[in-house]
Amino acid sequence: MTDLAPPAPGMLEDLRRRFFASPLQALVSLLSLGLIALVGWKLLNWALLSAVFDPSQGAEACHRAAGACWSVIAARWRIILFGLYPYEEQWRSALACVAVVAMTVLSCIPAFWTGRRIAAIWLAGTTVFYVLMKGGVLGLSYVGEESWGGLALTLFIFVATCLIGFPLSIVLALLRRSELPWISRTTGLIIDAVRSLPLISILFTFAIVLPFALPHWLQGDKLYRVIVGSALFFAAYQAEIVRGGMQGVAHGQGEAAMALGLSYWQRVSRILLPQAMRNALPATINQFVISFKETSLVVIVGFFEIIASGNAAYGTGEWRFAYAEVYTFIAFIYFVFVFSLSRYGAFLERRMSVGER
Amino acid sequence: MATLAQSPNPDIALRIEGMNKYFGNFHALRNIDLTVTRGEKIVVCGPSGSGKSTMIRCINRLEEHNSGRIVVLGTELNDDVGNIDEIRREVGMVFQHFNLFPHMSVLENCVLAPMLVRKLPRQQAEEMALRFLEKVRIPEQASKYPGQLSGGQQQRVAIARALCMQPQIMLFDEPTSALDPEMISEVLDVMVTLAADGMTMICVTHEMGFARRVADRVIFMDRGEIIEEAPPETFFTASRNERTRQFLSQILNH
Ligand SMILES: Nc1ncnc2c1ncn2[C@@H]1O[C@H](COP(=O)(O)OP(=O)(O)O)[C@@H](O)[C@H]1O
Ligand SMILES: [Mg+2]
Repeated sequence: MTDLAPPAPGMLEDLRRRFFASPLQALVSLLSLGLIALVGWKLLNWALLSAVFDPSQGAEACHRAAGACWSVIAARWRIILFGLYPYEEQWRSALACVAVVAMTVLSCIPAFWTGRRIAAIWLAGTTVFYVLMKGGVLGLSYVGEESWGGLALTLFIFVATCLIGFPLSIVLALLRRSELPWISRTTGLIIDAVRSLPLISILFTFAIVLPFALPHWLQGDKLYRVIVGSALFFAAYQAEIVRGGMQGVAHGQGEAAMALGLSYWQRVSRILLPQAMRNALPATINQFVISFKETSLVVIVGFFEIIASGNAAYGTGEWRFAYAEVYTFIAFIYFVFVFSLSRYGAFLERRMSVGER
Repeated sequence: MATLAQSPNPDIALRIEGMNKYFGNFHALRNIDLTVTRGEKIVVCGPSGSGKSTMIRCINRLEEHNSGRIVVLGTELNDDVGNIDEIRREVGMVFQHFNLFPHMSVLENCVLAPMLVRKLPRQQAEEMALRFLEKVRIPEQASKYPGQLSGGQQQRVAIARALCMQPQIMLFDEPTSALDPEMISEVLDVMVTLAADGMTMICVTHEMGFARRVADRVIFMDRGEIIEEAPPETFFTASRNERTRQFLSQILNH
């Protein structure tokens, strides 16, 4: 530790003042430190030191070991990531995931933020995803939506929810601000009604109840009904976030734009929305995160998204004991996506704060 | 007086006839009559709440008048959206609180409307913007954001932004009242230059020095009415109206 000597006196002094100012404080600090060390050691021991990684030894090796049984992941990762998708075709599902992630990453890059580029990216991304997943063309065998599952399904539901829900939320927010009272009130009523229902009941309604009410040609596959339901739910919350952002835009902004002769859509797209979205950004990222995690609810209407696939991964015979490892793995996947989303939000906030004092 | 708009007189920039404006039951403007010829500079003053802002905001339809007529550059202001657009293209406005777009650079503020409304190509719009930024003596700030400028600089950018639409009439609503005293003159100087170039200007302001230097006529408003209308010399020294004299004594001795 001698190589740390130069900053050490200041640092030690600082630590002493913060954590060891009085005997009682010192005691609490030491106890906490001990607890952290103990938990840390146990975790390390479980996750790495005593863990079993080699799947060739089978579940038996795990029973003998004291640590985590990562061989369950090695043995069952394909069912976690791809669900019930036909085994030989799972490369398609993997490529489809890559397509969705690529599409999302590209549309997050400011250089692509023109209407035409975004539209091209989304069209290409969804087409590639769809063709790969469903097949039936280009020599790919047909795989119906009922067999989609795992990460690919989770990503698809999330991205489709956002692609439909986000523009819808802006439309709803604008309608709610309409000067015609019957439009603003009706929109407000719809938003509040959707927000007052639990997502589960909306999913259930769209998946199970709607087919009884709609003519057959309007129903579509259950998957798309569920996506519409969850997009509606997302839009209702996001509309209020966008509206809040709009309220933070000074009244004079619209007037100045009007006086310059800008049309309604020009005022909305160039003046109102950029400023409103800047105000609404933290809450918006939050809404995306919530909505990503909520995709797991589709399991109640019979979809095999990533958590359900995880259940299946340890649910059979020999791996029945290894649920902690499977859930840790799934949690890690969620973490990677959600954490990237949060970091991206922070990047956007820095970028958008250009010009603020 | 000949009925208006039937034989549009090209020398007339603006004509308001018998205009009334209500906010709910509140009668904000009463029987306003005003004719402004091209190149004329009008200064509007009066106590706070007398309807000065409301009157000039009616000219570009930021407020809707309830009765009477407004004809701007031969175009009648009515529910016809085409007319409103046409008038807004030709009438620039400068606000008390600048209302620059904070998420755009100074240059972007200036080229936005010419590109979107007049459909100018970007390069041409930028050249013009730089010309007007030079005119308001601030070309070096083109790439900054409004939040990085002082109040006086922001107001000069706002003037340049309005000029970039090459309007025939400019409306000013108390352009200096939100400014620190030391910044007032830099904005007034720009307005004086603009007046010297022959712009038709309607300025709500209490800067009486500016009025004396530039105005062809001073209009005094009180409680929604035009009380008096006179050349600046007469207005400041020889007004016979009791309310005008009271107002003048208040603002000149503050
Ligand atoms: N949007 C509005 N709604 C209701 N009353 C208004 C509105 N705008 C202005 N007024 C009222 O109209 C009167 C004239 O306002 P204004 O034209 O702003 O006066 P000035 O600019 O001379 O100070 C004031 O009494 C003001 O309260
Ligand atoms: Mg005013």
